[in-house]
Amino acid sequence: MIRLDAHRPATFCDGTTRRDFLHAGAVAPLGLTLASANRARAAGNGTDNDTNCIMLFLVGGPSQLDTFDPKPKAPAEVRGPFTATKTNVSGMEISEIFPKTAKHADKFSIIRSVYHTAAAVHDTGHQMMQTGRLFAGGIEYPHVGCALGYLKGGRGELPPHVLLPKPIGRTGGNLPHGHGAGYLGKSHDPFILNADPNAPGFKVPDLLPPDYITGLRAERRQKFRDAVDGATATFEGSGAAKQLDDNFALAYKLMSSTKAREAFALDKESAKTRDRYGRTRFGQSCLMARRLIEAGVRFVTVNMFETVFDEVTWDIHGSKPFTDVQQMAREVVPNFDMAYTALLEDLADRGLLSNTMVVALGEFGRTPKINPAGGRDHHPGVWSILMGGGPIKGGMVVGESDELAYAPKTRPVTPGEVAATIYKGLGLDPHKELPGPQNRPIPLADFSVKPINELF
Amino acid sequence: MLLRTVLIAWLSVFATASVPAAELRVYPAEVLLSGPNRTQQLLAVDVDNERAIKDHPSDVSYKSSAGHVAKVDASGRVTAIGNGNAVITATVGTRTATAAVKVSGLDQPKEWSFQNHVLPVLTRTGCNSGACHGALAGKGGMKLSLRAYDPDSDWFVLTRQALARRVDLTKPAESLLLKKAARLMPHGGGTRIVEDDDNFTLLLEWIESGAKGPQANDAKLEHLEVFPTHALLKPKDQLRVTARAVYSDGSKEDVTGWAKFGSSEEQVAGVDEDGVVTVAGSGEAAITVSFGTMVSTLTVTSPFPNKAVLAASPRHNYIDEFVHKKLELLRLPPSAQCTDAEFARRAYLDTCGILPPPDEARAFLADTDPKKREKLIARLLDHPAFTDYWAYRWSEMLLVSSRKLPQPAMWAFYRKVRQSVADNLPWNQFAREVLTSSGSTFANGGGNYFVLHKDVSELAEATAITFLGTSVGCAKCHNHPLEKWTQDQYWAFANLFSRVGLKNGDRPGEVLVRSRLDGEALHPRTGVPVPPTPFDGKPLPLDSPIDRRTYFADWLTAPDNPYFARAIVNRVWRNFMGRGLVEAEDDMRVSNPPTNAELLDALAADFVKHKYDMKHLMRTILQSAAYQRSSQPTPENAADDRFYSRYLVRRLPAEVILDAYSDITHVPTQFNKMQSAAGDSVTATAIYPAGTRAIQLPDSLLLSRFLEAFGRAERVATCSCERTSDASVSQALHLNNGVTLNDKLRDAKSVVSTWIAAKLSDVAIVDRVFLAALTRLPTAEEKKRFVELLREAAMEGEQSHREAIEDFLWAVLTGREFLFNH
Repeated sequence: MIRLDAHRPATFCDGTTRRDFLHAGAVAPLGLTLASANRARAAGNGTDNDTNCIMLFLVGGPSQLDTFDPKPKAPAEVRGPFTATKTNVSGMEISEIFPKTAKHADKFSIIRSVYHTAAAVHDTGHQMMQTGRLFAGGIEYPHVGCALGYLKGGRGELPPHVLLPKPIGRTGGNLPHGHGAGYLGKSHDPFILNADPNAPGFKVPDLLPPDYITGLRAERRQKFRDAVDGATATFEGSGAAKQLDDNFALAYKLMSSTKAREAFALDKESAKTRDRYGRTRFGQSCLMARRLIEAGVRFVTVNMFETVFDEVTWDIHGSKPFTDVQQMAREVVPNFDMAYTALLEDLADRGLLSNTMVVALGEFGRTPKINPAGGRDHHPGVWSILMGGGPIKGGMVVGESDELAYAPKTRPVTPGEVAATIYKGLGLDPHKELPGPQNRPIPLADFSVKPINELF
Repeated sequence: MLLRTVLIAWLSVFATASVPAAELRVYPAEVLLSGPNRTQQLLAVDVDNERAIKDHPSDVSYKSSAGHVAKVDASGRVTAIGNGNAVITATVGTRTATAAVKVSGLDQPKEWSFQNHVLPVLTRTGCNSGACHGALAGKGGMKLSLRAYDPDSDWFVLTRQALARRVDLTKPAESLLLKKAARLMPHGGGTRIVEDDDNFTLLLEWIESGAKGPQANDAKLEHLEVFPTHALLKPKDQLRVTARAVYSDGSKEDVTGWAKFGSSEEQVAGVDEDGVVTVAGSGEAAITVSFGTMVSTLTVTSPFPNKAVLAASPRHNYIDEFVHKKLELLRLPPSAQCTDAEFARRAYLDTCGILPPPDEARAFLADTDPKKREKLIARLLDHPAFTDYWAYRWSEMLLVSSRKLPQPAMWAFYRKVRQSVADNLPWNQFAREVLTSSGSTFANGGGNYFVLHKDVSELAEATAITFLGTSVGCAKCHNHPLEKWTQDQYWAFANLFSRVGLKNGDRPGEVLVRSRLDGEALHPRTGVPVPPTPFDGKPLPLDSPIDRRTYFADWLTAPDNPYFARAIVNRVWRNFMGRGLVEAEDDMRVSNPPTNAELLDALAADFVKHKYDMKHLMRTILQSAAYQRSSQPTPENAADDRFYSRYLVRRLPAEVILDAYSDITHVPTQFNKMQSAAGDSVTATAIYPAGTRAIQLPDSLLLSRFLEAFGRAERVATCSCERTSDASVSQALHLNNGVTLNDKLRDAKSVVSTWIAAKLSDVAIVDRVFLAALTRLPTAEEKKRFVELLREAAMEGEQSHREAIEDFLWAVLTGREFLFNH
């Protein structure tokens, strides 16, 4: 039985089971062009057990010193107010304000020597950490998850890459943040939830048709729409017009797929599970990420915050409208600590961690010396990120920063290398070439950029 | 005649591929070597029509007429030998070209200037970049100013800090500056210069001669020349670029080796760090050259691989002369002209934000007057909807909203904008009235501009974006990396806005705006105010009693202001043509040049000449053949998205779609819920009576899932980027399942009910839907198909018939032909 609404059987005039609507929805598979469907076929689209990835983007740029690279021996104005704590991996210490994370250190590794050399504004880091590159010369590069989606397509009716809950908004630089498909074209953009999964009575906006739009009508509407749209060639060259049609195709897919709808239905989770992730926008987004991966989504990006201006975030300048170190420890850290560990545990319990990478990263670190406002400013000189799950080894520390957590001391790692590592973890050749603008081949990561091989 | 000239020019372009026929030229043609340490790189280039078409890096020989004055090596580098004049002759095959060389100052001691030599070396090698010592906190204990915006402190840091070990005057070669940079000792930043290369030697000689800092009589950089400035090339061609600094003392210096190069369009042409351009594709790219605080560009044009270019495309006014000139150069044949139906639809939408009402559309299509397009343009410019549409646009630009303004203030601001549009107030007058507003913000709405931007920096930056179309925010903290604006200029500009006084009025939320006689914006580095100065304008003495706002408005609206008219002309052009001559519309800067600079200049000049008359500007654009072109691409121009070879397809704005839904279904949208400014609560409001159109809203806080999904601007930040026209799945889901369109269709008072009650035939219904939504009648095939589908549904009963009509209307209203302007 085709159901447009998960709670109610669809009403059909003839009362019989009809598959027409589903077929109609299947005509244009889900933001997939025929070419990418063909590419996907090689990967056994629909049933493969390829590695997935959840990228938790810690918008604002967490302080390396107050998170995963504590320096208890540094001067007070550098080490900050918190001390280090042991983890369940001997020799690995993190900041004491992450008690839950400390108990799961065997599930992830810390890379303590990530740095970038572009301007110290949020936007550049967002670009580089999500795409591996800094945008220049009018070229926008694709998000790692969009490149994956381009190469492998979606599993069944689900989009390959979902972005929760919203794209990163204004962070001061007025530059693109790199959450889209860039030169691959908007057809390969992620599906964006655009809603707060922690809101009371949360539903994906407009995912379900109103009850008076029966399967029959929905099918007819699409048929009519195709008939009108077949009329003119004007739009053939227009990417925006093509995108409209792709979006309608994906919308039909989502509407008509029980599996897709259920993946977003957080109310199917027990109150206990929901509490475990934390009743925050980020916590519930992490829970939804797990549901989506379970349902077959390949890549989920979770933005911890939408902006750095009107929220308490990792952007701890100390002065208004920003957060200070203490506020971060009180509000931001527990939110992360709870959701991140619940996600790792939950994935492990369900046997999903072995083929799902979980990376948690921000766009840069913070200045080692605490500023007069009790905060720390932007510092792309060095920071720490977490990677685990899938083929990534846990319990390792890769690279180290200097005594003041000011610059990498050993094994400096660039954003490009982080991206190459994710590609490798996803089972892709990091130097596989994609068709760039005007069909100029562009490798996933530049040929000189190598993955962090010790993590595998 | 024009056609013939162009044709000949083209033939010669083709010819150069095999037989060089164009003029050989040497750049720079006049070489000035004013000092013992100066050299100049020459370029030998074929030039046609003032555009470089071929570089001769190696198949050229150089000869100096006076070896005792200047010598030239095989690569074309000229070195001074003795004071005097010489002529360098370049020979390529049988052709020759010359450069005149003047050498002077060889009797002066060889001296490197801190400001004009040492700092450029540190900038070029990246030492003072944001990633290295230019970072806010410096690096490794040494902090230089980002790209050398603060020479005094840089000199102090290099010669005085760290126990003065960085520069060792007694043993210059032991200076840390050299040893670190050349990595003769450990350096976190790696090897920045190579021992004994030119830069190394320069730094060493500077130290040897006493490491002097900035001097009061230092020659000031006044201008940056780039050779050549225009190039016409084809893919895989290469071209060298030379940059020359022009100083206030009249001296000139080859700075190619210290300049930074970048490309606006890597897909068309890239450039390496030595300034060698390589063409990659077709189109136009701006190669940006920056040195010191100056930025200049070279335009590289790479024609599309089309043979035929000269189509019989009409020219209606001067716009077409400039557009055609560009299309001819790029070998982009324009599409044919649009039909009357297409013209009517787009002209209504672009001018008034509404679809042509069906009866007006019918009358227009039936009219046989050859001047009917001109007459329609005249009607539209006086249409009541014109005021709604443009009042909305300018309100959005000025951030009119109850987000930060109390209701009475917001209404006063909106009324001010709306009345100005209704009166067709000249743009210079409008700008002046807003920027010099005084008195109660409830009475004189323009004053709310100052309430929205209370902070002096915010006010200065918002004013630059709004009225000059350019962002200067970067220069607040350091010299602008992409523009010529320095931090000093920023604070001189900001100081123009430092004397705006705000105090509370008698009524709640009322603010009284006035010009004050005191108040200064302090330069954060020096702690003292800088005399208020408009960009490239004359400074106003700090003690001048002249009202600073008036002084700024005078400068802004002066006919020779180089930014003001261009900024608004570009915004209006974008509204009608789908892409700004400069894109984004408010990102005008040297390093982001217009796609047709001559056209932008001509439009701005014409606008000023017609006393900043907005309707004149709009009429001129609407009447041009460029505006009236079909949106159907041809195989030859399909790749063009910026030179106006066809009308550019774009999605309708959110408000326009919503209003069109109301008009076509006869069911108005209700705006009866307001979001709080923080977006965390919703309250009912009865301010907006039934029938209020989305485009008539003065506020951006009315709750509308539709407007949100389709990218309404929030009116928080002055930026055209606030409004988005991207398609998203959320929009598709909302059109499918959301209440906006579905509720209108099934409303008991909807047009569907009217048609059914009037027993309209299916044929008539199909005709009406097409005409109302698409401004055209269905094709015979479409008509047959839809009538049949409706008839089929009718056989299953009345309810089924009605639903089918709704579904048909839904399909038309969600299709691309409806949602896009084309």
